[in-house]
Order: sequence, then structure tokens, then C-alpha cells
Amino acid sequence: MSQAKSEVKNMPMHPHAKPNFRNLFWYPFKITLITALRTFPIFGRIFGKRLSGGYHNTTHPEFLDDNSATRAASSKLYNDISQQEFAPDRVTSDLFPTLWKPQTVQYPYERLEDMEPWLFVPGNYNGRIGVIWETCTACKLCVSACPNDCLHMTTELRVDVLDGADGEHSGMGAELEVGGHAAKLIPEVAESLDEFNLVTAHTDTPDQWRFAEVLDLSGDTATVRWNDSGQEQEVEAAELYVADDQIVSGRIDLGRCMFCGLCMEACGFTSFFMTNEYDGMSGFNRQDLWFDASRTRVLPSVHQEAVDSELAKRANKERDKRAKKAARAAKESA
Amino acid sequence: MDDAYDLRGLIFSLVEKVIPPILEGTFLEESTGQITFGLATFAVVNIVFLMLFFSQFAILWIERKAVARMNDRRGATTALRSLWVGENGVTAGEWWNMLPFGLGKPVGAVNKWLNKKFGNRDEKYPTVDRVNNRSWMGYSIFPGFFQNVADGMKFLLKEHMVPQRADKLIFEVSPFLIVSSTLLILGLIPLSSGIYATNPELSILYAIAIFGIAPIGVFFAGWSSNNKYTLIGGIRSAAQLTAYEIPLLLTLLSVAVLSGTFNIVESVHFQHSAGSWNLFLMPLGAGLFLITMIAEVERVPFDMPEAEAELVEGWWTEYGGMRFGMLFMAEYIRTYAACFLFTHFFLGGWHLPFQGLIGSIPIIGDLYLLIPGAIVVLIKAWLVFLLVFVWARFSLARIRTDQILEFGWRILLPLAVFQLILSAIYRLYLFDPSAMSDSTFGGTSWDAFGILFLIPAITTAIWLGIFFLMLNDEDKSGNTERMFHVYTDKAAGTYVPGQE
Repeated sequence: MSQAKSEVKNMPMHPHAKPNFRNLFWYPFKITLITALRTFPIFGRIFGKRLSGGYHNTTHPEFLDDNSATRAASSKLYNDISQQEFAPDRVTSDLFPTLWKPQTVQYPYERLEDMEPWLFVPGNYNGRIGVIWETCTACKLCVSACPNDCLHMTTELRVDVLDGADGEHSGMGAELEVGGHAAKLIPEVAESLDEFNLVTAHTDTPDQWRFAEVLDLSGDTATVRWNDSGQEQEVEAAELYVADDQIVSGRIDLGRCMFCGLCMEACGFTSFFMTNEYDGMSGFNRQDLWFDASRTRVLPSVHQEAVDSELAKRANKERDKRAKKAARAAKESA
Repeated sequence: MDDAYDLRGLIFSLVEKVIPPILEGTFLEESTGQITFGLATFAVVNIVFLMLFFSQFAILWIERKAVARMNDRRGATTALRSLWVGENGVTAGEWWNMLPFGLGKPVGAVNKWLNKKFGNRDEKYPTVDRVNNRSWMGYSIFPGFFQNVADGMKFLLKEHMVPQRADKLIFEVSPFLIVSSTLLILGLIPLSSGIYATNPELSILYAIAIFGIAPIGVFFAGWSSNNKYTLIGGIRSAAQLTAYEIPLLLTLLSVAVLSGTFNIVESVHFQHSAGSWNLFLMPLGAGLFLITMIAEVERVPFDMPEAEAELVEGWWTEYGGMRFGMLFMAEYIRTYAACFLFTHFFLGGWHLPFQGLIGSIPIIGDLYLLIPGAIVVLIKAWLVFLLVFVWARFSLARIRTDQILEFGWRILLPLAVFQLILSAIYRLYLFDPSAMSDSTFGGTSWDAFGILFLIPAITTAIWLGIFFLMLNDEDKSGNTERMFHVYTDKAAGTYVPGQE
């Protein structure tokens, strides 16, 4: 008993844990002073260099694997960690493990991914909703799956890229017909789409299509009436893509969305995604959070594999259908 | 030494020139003197009050910003700016269209111009652009200063609610008691020898007497709200304020003893004409004053009466809307008043640092003395607020009630008595009244053995020595080993869990 007591008495104490004047009074003042000074970039650099464990404001070849390096390079503008000003290193003790560490990321002035490029938002993080509208078939499985009723489906005039597919799947889509709709590609806009970043742009994705109504088809040329100007014009039929005014479009009320991801799971066509982007989803009023098709759009090139497989699936289906039709016609004629 | 800028004298002479000719020949001619005095005093009081009141915004801002820095943040950056700087020039709707009197168009035009000029256009912070309602300018120009205006507007729009079973009359009266007694203190605080509202002979006693009214209101508020949290807060407040009032009074008494006056203005003049700020003659008294003042204004670490973690908001839990705002404001005015009192009693008021030495240099000295005393006082008060009240608030942890009381009664009170004795000794034996002088250089009353300012220098050195002794007061022999992991008694780095 007495031995145990003396052991307790002699138990070594962390030097910062002693309840003396220095630790109770002066040391807290010192810590807050240094913390306050460090938030000014100039003091941050000085103290960061003097006291750092070499974490922030340094390069980290040992952390930067190939993927991180690629990612860091892709947004070099704000991923250059040598340019980071804030959150220099803090020493810490076992007693106050959090007190001297940089706990605050000065978002939006800095981002964790920018400060530490080897970190990233995990791919399974449910962020902003993204849809590859080109492969959407308007089955509305996502709408019925949504517990919060935040998905709304409408139709709009749009080109179905599957109809105009090139290469091995060409000719498997719908065809131009009189009274139907057609669209012409605007190459400048289409090229600029690769550079277009929905997150930083804060505008709708520009439309690369010019839509028209088909008035007459005669061989290689077609007479169309442009929807934007109302003018009639004769154009090469090869330049025209089939457009459909029954193609589905959606509006998503992100103010109601709880990011459960059930819509993504319900989608049978790999067109519905929860992206891992977490910012750019704010607004001054509720209507700002009604994201229409163009603000939820994911370019097909981002998920080219999914689009390709969907394309192949539909082309094969169409091919089977035509083969059956041809077989039936042969049978009837026989 | 008098401040060069005599606002009070200017206004009085103006009114004395303007008013008598107007009253001449009327039935008021006989009371010309009283009317002149009344009008001039009214003008001065208003000017001084407005100066004190609006300069108070600075300390609110200082606290927010300094605290944010100490917490590794930036603090308020965008208050009210969000009205005119939105993302890519898009603000919170065209709100200016709702303005009356045809103001919408011009205000909207100004707003659009501001957006064009100062909106989010900097590519250095793309993330800032990407998140609405922020601006990279937010932390580089005057950030968050008007947050308090926004808070005040919010408070004004809130409903006034009285708890159903409260003592309604007392509940309504006590905020007025607290706020009005707090505002009265401002009337006694001189901004300089030429800018003050009123200067009674015994202004130190008067200020402290008024300071002592608010605790009654606090206790009333806590009691009448009919809420256990407010009651506990009120009782804690009563116990604490009583305990700390006595060392505070004794400290002020020792200031009065040292400077031989109960008048604030005279005690400031004394510090110049005797040759040393009181801070250097009684560092112990300065420390006692600050500690007791922090306790009197109920700020951390002495904020047991409104301990948020356990008492919601303490004695003002039940007050909402603008009454909450007024109580908060009263607390900050009391703090601000404490800063001013410290400035006047210990930091030489409107006298510049080394005013005597630098002021005696021919041209530089004249320029140095041109700095207005009111500015000096304000800067000193803000610095006291920043370096004492704010820094202490966000460094120290809240102290237990019994520890507060024990500290007050058993440590501060004897120390205050000790300081009083010290002051008497200083005044009686170390002070040379014949060397006092109101010249630019000031007096040399605190010299000894022919060495300039020897007594304040030695006093300060002794107390600094005590401070550093206390800093290093630990048993170094008990700690010869390397640092230990807190969760074990093994030396750091040697402990591997699951391997003993």
C-alpha cells in the first residue's frame, strides 16, 4: 500500500503538466501569442521555419505518388504548395496534442487538397449530382428512388449522341425524317467544352448544338428551319445530327437533396453519378439551388468507358432488332 | 501637462460669444450665465459621449480579429460586404430596388460600380470565387468592422419576450439599471485634459460608486427571471463582484495615496509632473487593478456568472432581442471604461511615452507634442484591451467559483493592503514634492541619489525579477529523465502498447 502510494508520488510528470505559475499562467499566453502571430504570413514563415517539423510549406517527394503528382499538376494554379502562406507547422506536446497544430483550413482562401495534394476527396464521397444526359433514357428510376422528391424530369430538344455515333456503331440510331428535328454542331463551342470547368465557371455549360426543324429531305441535302433565327436554309444532310424533342431533361433541387446516392444506385444505365465535388453548391436564394440539366451535366468524355459500353449495348440491341425484323420479313416473303 | 487641444475651452468660448448677444434685452438676460454654461456643457457632453461610444466599435472589432488570430482563424471578414460583392458581381439579388425615396437607382449604380471595381476578379483565389458570398478582398481591407452594426440590426428586429412567471417589473427595470449606470461611467472618463464631459472633485470615488451599481442590477436580473440558471449566475455574480470590489477599491486607494488626489484628471497630471507613470511605481497595483477589473466586468477567466458551458448565458439567459444586445454592450462599455481607467491611473493618460524627454528636444519635441491627447488615450486604451483583456480571455481557462473567491479574499485582498502600505511608504519617504513641475520635461520627484527616475526603475526591476523567478519556479531535479508519454509512466518513444 505504502509502496504503491510512493510510486504514485514519484510518478513522472510531463513537464507541461505541472500546475505551476509558468504552466498555468504564462504558457497559455505564449501559445496564443505564437498562434496569433503565425496567422500573419510573415510571422508564419519565420516561426514555421524555426519550429516546423518540415510538414507544411515544404515539398514532399515522399508523399507525392504518381497519381497525386498528376492531380497536383492538373490544377497547378492553386496546388503549388510552395505558394501556400498559411498554416505553418506547429510543434505539439503529448499533453496538448491539438493545441499547436494547424487545425483550421482557411477555406475558401485555402483548401485541404491544395495544401496537401496527397490527400483528395474520396471517390465514394457523395457530392454534387452529375448526370451524363446523353445516355439517359428517361426511365425515371432515379425519380422514384429519391426519398426527398428533389428530382424532376421534363423533356427537351436535344441531340442523342448515340443516334449519331460514328465508327462501328454508326447507323444504329434514329434517322432524319421530315417533321422531325435536327441539330448542327458548332465546332468552336464543342472545342471550348474541353476547357470548360463547371465548378469554377458559375455559368451554364454552353450548348454546342444549333437546333432546327426538318422541312424537307431530298437526297444529300435537307431544308431546315433554324430554331434560333426562324430562317429556312438548305444544308448538307451529312452535317445534321438527329435531334429529339422527347429527350429527357431533369432539374434537381439541391436544397432538398440529402446526398444519399439512392438515385445513383437506381440508375441502370450508369448515367447518374454523385461527383466528389463539394463546393460551388451555394446560392443567395433557394432558386439558385435548382440545378437544371446543364448544371448537373457531366461530359461524356469524363466517363468515356461508361458511355462506350452503353453505346455498344444499345447498338447491339438495335442490331438484334433489325436482324429479327429482316428475318421476319424474309420469312413473310418466303 | 495640459493637452494642446482644448475642445472644452473652445466650445465654451464659442457659446459665450454667441449666446449673450442673443439674450440681451430679453427676460432671460439675468440667467445668461446659467444658460451659456448649460448649452456649452450639453454640447461638450454629447461630443465626448459620441466619441467614447463610437470608438467602442474599435474594441469589438479588435476582440473579434485578435481572437480569431489566436484561434488560427481570420475572424469576421465579409459582414455587409456580401450586399455588394457577390460571386462574379452577382449580389444577393437587386436589393437596392426595395429602397424608398428613389434611392434605389443611385445606390444600385454605386453598388454595381463597387462590384466592377472591387468584386471577385482575382485569379489568385479561385476557390474564393467558387464559393458564393466571399471575397478575396475580405481579409485585406478593413474586414469585419461593421459586423457589430449587422448584429445590432439583428437584435433590433428580434421580439421582446418576458418569461411568463418572471417578476415583470424588476425584469424590465434591471437592464435599464445596468445600462444606464454603465453609460454614466463614460461621463467621468476624460479623453484628454481638454475633452471631458464632467470632472467632479472626487471623480475616482464617483466612478467606482457608479461601477458598483450594476452588480445590483445583475442580481435583480438573475432573481427576477425566475430561472435556475439566471439565479445561479446572479448569485455567483453577487459573490464574485463583492469579493473583488474590495481589492479594487484598495488598489484605487493606493493610486490616490500615491498621486495625492481623488480626481482622475489630477492623477494623470500628477504622473507627468512627478516624473513617472504609476505603472512603474506600482506594478503590483497595476496587476491587481487588471485582475480585479477582469473579475468586475465578468470576463474570462472570471466569467463564472455567465459560464456558457453550464449556465446557458448566466444571469442574462432570459433576455432576448435588443435587451440582450444592450446588456452585451454594457459589458463591453464596462470593459472599455476599465481600459480607460487603467490608462489614466497607470499609463499616464494623454501623455505620450517619454513625453518629457522627447518633448524637450527642440523641433522634434514640438512635433511630438502635436499628437492629440485624445488619440493617445484611445490608442492606449485599445492596447490595454488587446494585450490584457482579449489576450487573457483566450489564453486562460475559466476558474472554479470557490477558487475565484479564495483567490480574491485570500490572495488579492492581502496584496492590495500590501500595495496600499507600499504606496504610503513611497509617498511619504521616497517622494520629493519640491521637485514636481508642470513643465514640458515634467518633474523629477522620483529621483534618488541624483539618478534620474531611479525609484521607478528599481521598482519595475524588482517586480520583473519576481515575475521571472515565478516563471522558473519548478523542481528541475525531479525531471532529469527525458519527457514522458502522458498516458504511461514510460519514457516517450519506449512504450509499445501490448508489449509489457
